[in-house]
Amino acid sequence: MKQLRSLMILCFFFIAGSLIAQNQVSGIVTSEMGTLPGVTILEKGTVNGTITDMEGNFDLFLESGDPVLVFSMVGFATKEVPVDGKSQLTITMEEDITGLQEVVVIGYGTAKKNELTSSISIVEGKDLNKMTVGNVAESMQGLASGVQVLYNGGGPGSSPKLLIRGIVTNQGSDPLIVVDGVALPQGSNLNFLNPSDIKSIQVLKDGSASSIYGTRASNGVVLVTTERGNLGKSSISASLSFGLKALQQPDMANASEYAQVMNARQENDGQTAVYDLTSLENDTDWWGEVYKDFANVQNYSIRLNGGTEKINYLNSLAYFREDSHLEKGYWERLSNRSNVDFYATDKLFIQQDVNIRYEHWENTPNMFFDVMRIDPLTSVYLPFDQRENRNEYSIYGRSQNYVWNPVANVNRSFNESFYFGLFSNTKVNYDITDNLSISSRLGLNIDQLRNDWFEPKFVIEPNLEENQRSKISSRYTNTFNYVWNNLVNYNRRFGTHNIDLTAGLVFERNQSNYLDGRRTDVILSDPNFRYLDAATGDGIEAYGNETANSLQSYLARAMYNYDDRYFAFASFRRDGSSRFPVSNQWANFYSFSGGWKISNESFFNVSWISNLKVKAGYGQVGNQNIPASAFSYLVDSESFVFGEDKDRVVTNYISQFGNPSLKWETVQDQNYGVDVGLFDNKLTLTLDRYIKESKDLLFATTLPLFTGSPSTIMQNVGSFKSTGWDVSLAYQQSVGDWTFGINSTFNTNESIVQSLATGNDQLLAQKREELGNNFLKITQVGEVVGLFYGYETDGIFKSQTEINSHSDNSGQLIQPSAQPGDLKFIDQNDDGILDEKDLTIIGNPFPKFYSGLTFNMQYKNWDMNMQWYGSFGNDVYNYMKYYQTSGVGGSNVQAGLLNDSWSEQNSDATIPRLTALDPNRNFKVSSDYFIEDGSYVRLKNLQIGYNFQFSKLTQCRVYVSGQNLFTFTQYTGMDPEVSDANTSVIDGLGVDYSPYPLTRTYLLGLNISF
Amino acid sequence: MKLLSKTIFLIIVGFGISSCKDYLDEPIRSKPTLNEILSSEEAVVAFVNGAYDGVQENDWWQINFYRQIMDMASDDCWAGNTEQSRPDIISIAHFNNVDIGSSYFETFWNYQFRGITKCNVVIQEIGALDLDEDLKQRLIGETKFLRAFYYFQLVKNFGGVPIVTTFDELLEPEILEYERSSEDEVYALIEQDLLDAVDLLPLKSEYASSDLGRATKGAAQSYLAKVYLFRERWDEAVAMANEVILSGEYALEPQFEDVWNVTNPNGVETIFEIRYRTDPTYRIGGYYGVTTGSRDDGGWNWCVPSSYLEKAFLDEGDNIRLRSTIIKHGEPVYGDPDNTSFNASPDRNKSARINRKFYIPQAYRDSPYTQGNLPLNHIFMRYADLLLIYAEASYFDGNETEALNKLKMIRDRVSLATDMSLSGEDLRDAIWKERRLELALEQHRLYDLRRQKVNGEPRINQVFGPNGSFVKYNLTENTDQYELANKGEDQSKGSTFDPDKHLVWPIPNSEIILSQGKITQNPNY
Repeated sequence: MKQLRSLMILCFFFIAGSLIAQNQVSGIVTSEMGTLPGVTILEKGTVNGTITDMEGNFDLFLESGDPVLVFSMVGFATKEVPVDGKSQLTITMEEDITGLQEVVVIGYGTAKKNELTSSISIVEGKDLNKMTVGNVAESMQGLASGVQVLYNGGGPGSSPKLLIRGIVTNQGSDPLIVVDGVALPQGSNLNFLNPSDIKSIQVLKDGSASSIYGTRASNGVVLVTTERGNLGKSSISASLSFGLKALQQPDMANASEYAQVMNARQENDGQTAVYDLTSLENDTDWWGEVYKDFANVQNYSIRLNGGTEKINYLNSLAYFREDSHLEKGYWERLSNRSNVDFYATDKLFIQQDVNIRYEHWENTPNMFFDVMRIDPLTSVYLPFDQRENRNEYSIYGRSQNYVWNPVANVNRSFNESFYFGLFSNTKVNYDITDNLSISSRLGLNIDQLRNDWFEPKFVIEPNLEENQRSKISSRYTNTFNYVWNNLVNYNRRFGTHNIDLTAGLVFERNQSNYLDGRRTDVILSDPNFRYLDAATGDGIEAYGNETANSLQSYLARAMYNYDDRYFAFASFRRDGSSRFPVSNQWANFYSFSGGWKISNESFFNVSWISNLKVKAGYGQVGNQNIPASAFSYLVDSESFVFGEDKDRVVTNYISQFGNPSLKWETVQDQNYGVDVGLFDNKLTLTLDRYIKESKDLLFATTLPLFTGSPSTIMQNVGSFKSTGWDVSLAYQQSVGDWTFGINSTFNTNESIVQSLATGNDQLLAQKREELGNNFLKITQVGEVVGLFYGYETDGIFKSQTEINSHSDNSGQLIQPSAQPGDLKFIDQNDDGILDEKDLTIIGNPFPKFYSGLTFNMQYKNWDMNMQWYGSFGNDVYNYMKYYQTSGVGGSNVQAGLLNDSWSEQNSDATIPRLTALDPNRNFKVSSDYFIEDGSYVRLKNLQIGYNFQFSKLTQCRVYVSGQNLFTFTQYTGMDPEVSDANTSVIDGLGVDYSPYPLTRTYLLGLNISF
Repeated sequence: MKLLSKTIFLIIVGFGISSCKDYLDEPIRSKPTLNEILSSEEAVVAFVNGAYDGVQENDWWQINFYRQIMDMASDDCWAGNTEQSRPDIISIAHFNNVDIGSSYFETFWNYQFRGITKCNVVIQEIGALDLDEDLKQRLIGETKFLRAFYYFQLVKNFGGVPIVTTFDELLEPEILEYERSSEDEVYALIEQDLLDAVDLLPLKSEYASSDLGRATKGAAQSYLAKVYLFRERWDEAVAMANEVILSGEYALEPQFEDVWNVTNPNGVETIFEIRYRTDPTYRIGGYYGVTTGSRDDGGWNWCVPSSYLEKAFLDEGDNIRLRSTIIKHGEPVYGDPDNTSFNASPDRNKSARINRKFYIPQAYRDSPYTQGNLPLNHIFMRYADLLLIYAEASYFDGNETEALNKLKMIRDRVSLATDMSLSGEDLRDAIWKERRLELALEQHRLYDLRRQKVNGEPRINQVFGPNGSFVKYNLTENTDQYELANKGEDQSKGSTFDPDKHLVWPIPNSEIILSQGKITQNPNY
């Protein structure tokens, strides 16, 4: 009886226990830093799962009889825990700071981070999404070591350039962008990607990593991996943010000062003053008339995510809009991504991603250049009594310095672009055996861009500021690109030997067609009439063409890992490109690299060094970034008139000099690196040294003008060499409720010219008509590429005595036309004559080093993130000084110029005297007068967030942030971070033509998930 | 599954191997390559047509405005526009601080050489082509004429320049070592090209009417006569000009006002011209009516006639040519009934005068009235010019009677009496004056002043400089209400003229930099 009772009690407990076990388990997940919210918990072998709440607690109803729970979270080692009948679990997750077992995407495959022997910068999506930006490249600045982000204007929809490890090519420095295994066409940028869809970005920096992309990889490769569905019950997360972008107004002269400056310019030349100061009628603040102080930026996204054993899915919808500071102009993007993983059988795996996007720009002209030049004496509008017989676009004042009225310009700007894109990415993988698999991936990119513009009829001043006949145009560009990757992979472990072999065949083709129709004389300017059919004029124009290029490649790769101590890697690629003449179409690219993980050796036992690995690699990559027709002599046509009845005849002329012997440019790359982890990887250090050398550089060479060449000629000339250090250092620590993290990157680079073709040993660029057709940039052998070029100055002559003493040995004056207040130019070769032989290097737009610093902090429900970026030792060509400190052509000037420019009363001035004739050529040549130190340190982002606790929500975070809050710089222009967008990095970097400056942005945001 | 995967694999590999050649074949669409196009007669003719582009180019800024500045740098004109601050233009027009970096010199230089290269392509390639032999000879003649025309433009403005006569040499590395040839060498090439053109080209009357405007034997002879005049080879100039006269192909327009007249596009006096028509789509119209026009009449106010020029007409009692040469503010426009009181914007136009020769009467202005769309032909060589070349060369060749006869022909047309007793330097000065009045504002004056010599001194030295006649007139004698009132352009224009420097213009700065000094600068620039 007693036994029976005992049995019954036991039974009861067993049943109760098993009931509890079958029904529910609860617990708490912690780490060294405290409780962990957001940990995914899955019951192994089922799709049953949950996520920990804000306090790290979880509850889960169990389904299987012998349940094992899988705990996973990014940044932590995944943990499997058998429930063993317990109802309460306390789980401690181990941090996986270095992510050594993390899988890293490499070209045409993946590798364990631990096995990497090349140099790859990894940026996690969650770090990128700390900033609210339209283009994710903006937030990469300072986060990705070895990657320079170059702005060329911060207007709506702008896309900064990425520059990876300096410059070894002159033909486009844009890296190859690969999204989920699909290489995008040359010139693609990251604008089309919704940043919150990005799981991570990996930058293949060295040749051993990027060589597998052969001819497309000479500028590095950016691999983007998008978020995918996770096994588990579906969750929905949403984020929204709204912000204001503040534009800072430069200090410009008012009407009175402008008129005095203009008069002084004349009077100093012995001429008559232009303006009677007592009768100035207007004082227009053009900046205030054209620009708003604030513009909106908004960002909304929602994501559904979940999965079963058979299908994982993710679906996201996002909207981003950024307004300009003008009355018109914005960019908006609506994008949808649907990523589905389908495990058809245990051998067949299918991925289907679809990304649909719609983008819309209301384009506006860049007005900064005009606003800063137009005189303040001109009124925005004509007086009422002068507006008779003028339409709404013609009632504006006309500037006497011939700068077109910027308010009128904005008002009659009707220019919109509509983009519709469909990106489909299908992958089929079949495991033939456990070790052997084949896969095929087809990426399709179909898009259409439509650009409509309308130019109304207006006459502000006949034959000067007018458009006598209204014009309308609609242009459609359709592109169809595909990438077809076919791979075989063999992967096997033999004891401590681990090999991974891949071979493949790749086809890529891009085709683009456009159709452009234009007509004149639109009957009404009403928006409903801004279509071609509304035009009535006889001026009908139609244009259309097709361009296409193709690439075919064979590739192979071998990876070998011995006992996680020795690593070896080799790759081969053979590329054929349609862009080259048939005889030079094919080229081969190789790479080799190896690594030694010293810390895994048995003899190594330094307890505080948790990871120590050295690596070295060599790789070849190529460049085919040239116009598709560069090897041909092309003929174009124009019109001419002959005959009694003045008939139009066709004329032919050579529009391009070709080069039939054009071939590939190749880059050879060496990389040496060391990875160090200290104190259980709390402190990690990665240090890389690289040497990249190009040969057969593709270069558009300029012939002397007397050759009558209509164009530059593409040639294979010379070699560039880029060397530098990439360092990244990270530290993470938790104390009580506090968690800190610091990540920093530190980079140096020097890109120099090793050799150039005979006769082309000086490559000059940025010819400025206003500066006497001098060139602002020079690239020459033995020097850094794209240096600033001009005369060196030595202050300002304070007296005639100083001018007289600036002479050669025979007493001949070097600057006979100079007057006190003019710039003193250095006669470099001491020949007593100031001429082109005295032009010299006057500045370097590349920084000595650039550095990023990210600081994260968490305390209970509070979090804080700070992102700093600095560029040190770079010069900027402050081109706006040409207008702002001289008033040339009647341009408006900076406030205070009257007193700040040289005069006898102000003989210590650094700005030359005011003169219109300028006999000394102060403002007619390029000189270091325009060069300024462009070093800066910028607080790119400061974000403070708070997590509210609601039982139904896994996350409810509110944050405020400020972007570009502070910039510390000596630079006097609007923004030291400048680049001329119209040309290459070599020619454009550091030249300030007053682009749309980066704006200070204030944001409020909310993240919710449940 | 295994079979399936193998099949897929084989298909892919098979595709890869079989297709490589075709797959990478991506021809260039829409733009023919040189080899493709040079096979047809039509295309070769079009290439020759293209060689004419360099005479005027297809916009105002390459060549046309430069030619206008050359007139501004003479005593016939002011720069004119006193509203726009353009020291770059004024400095050339006033010989004050002429900038070696000026774009006007650079683009003119560049586009004349582009014209030369267009000619060289044809001259080099045409020999091997299968064309009608007569057509082939004519096309070679046209391109040689044009090449000579371009080198003549260059040598007049810059002195010696590099000589390129084939297309192939442009592709040799030695091209980067080229230096300037001497003025004599350039003239030798011009002379030879023109002699060839004279041989090869048909007479104006031998061309089909649809070819009117192409270079003719008469044009080649006229330019050759002019080149001889510039070289002071008087007897050859006379002989060559006489060939044109004897050909009977040309005559003076009975009325002077019909020379530059939009209603007389096929005049008998024209020897070489660019034909223009209103065509907003292809923009094959003229420029000067707008670029020299009045601001208040849809123009740009640049290159306006000086009162000094007006005085020359008045002193001569030459009202017929004056009214067809100069429009003055407030006065009716001769030949335009729609404009009875012309607004020459005195506050923005130095002289309040406008060039009548390029003016388009209201009734003939099509929409849009804008540069690049004007219907008036631009005459480069006309019969009156040729007769004056003949007269001047005859005088220096010692044949005063012939000189006087031709002078009389020119003056008879505009009802001016000719003193048939003129002789010696008086006759010379009368011919020079006639040349000025007849061809005023047609962009010849600066080159005539540099070319014509008194006691071995270029005449321009007497006109400009601190004691120049033009400078003295403006600073001491000028009583013109408009020029004195408008101080926007300095009254002392030309006082800084330097005879050791300003007889040629500077070689473009960028050419010297690009050639790393192998192309040298002219003295004192």
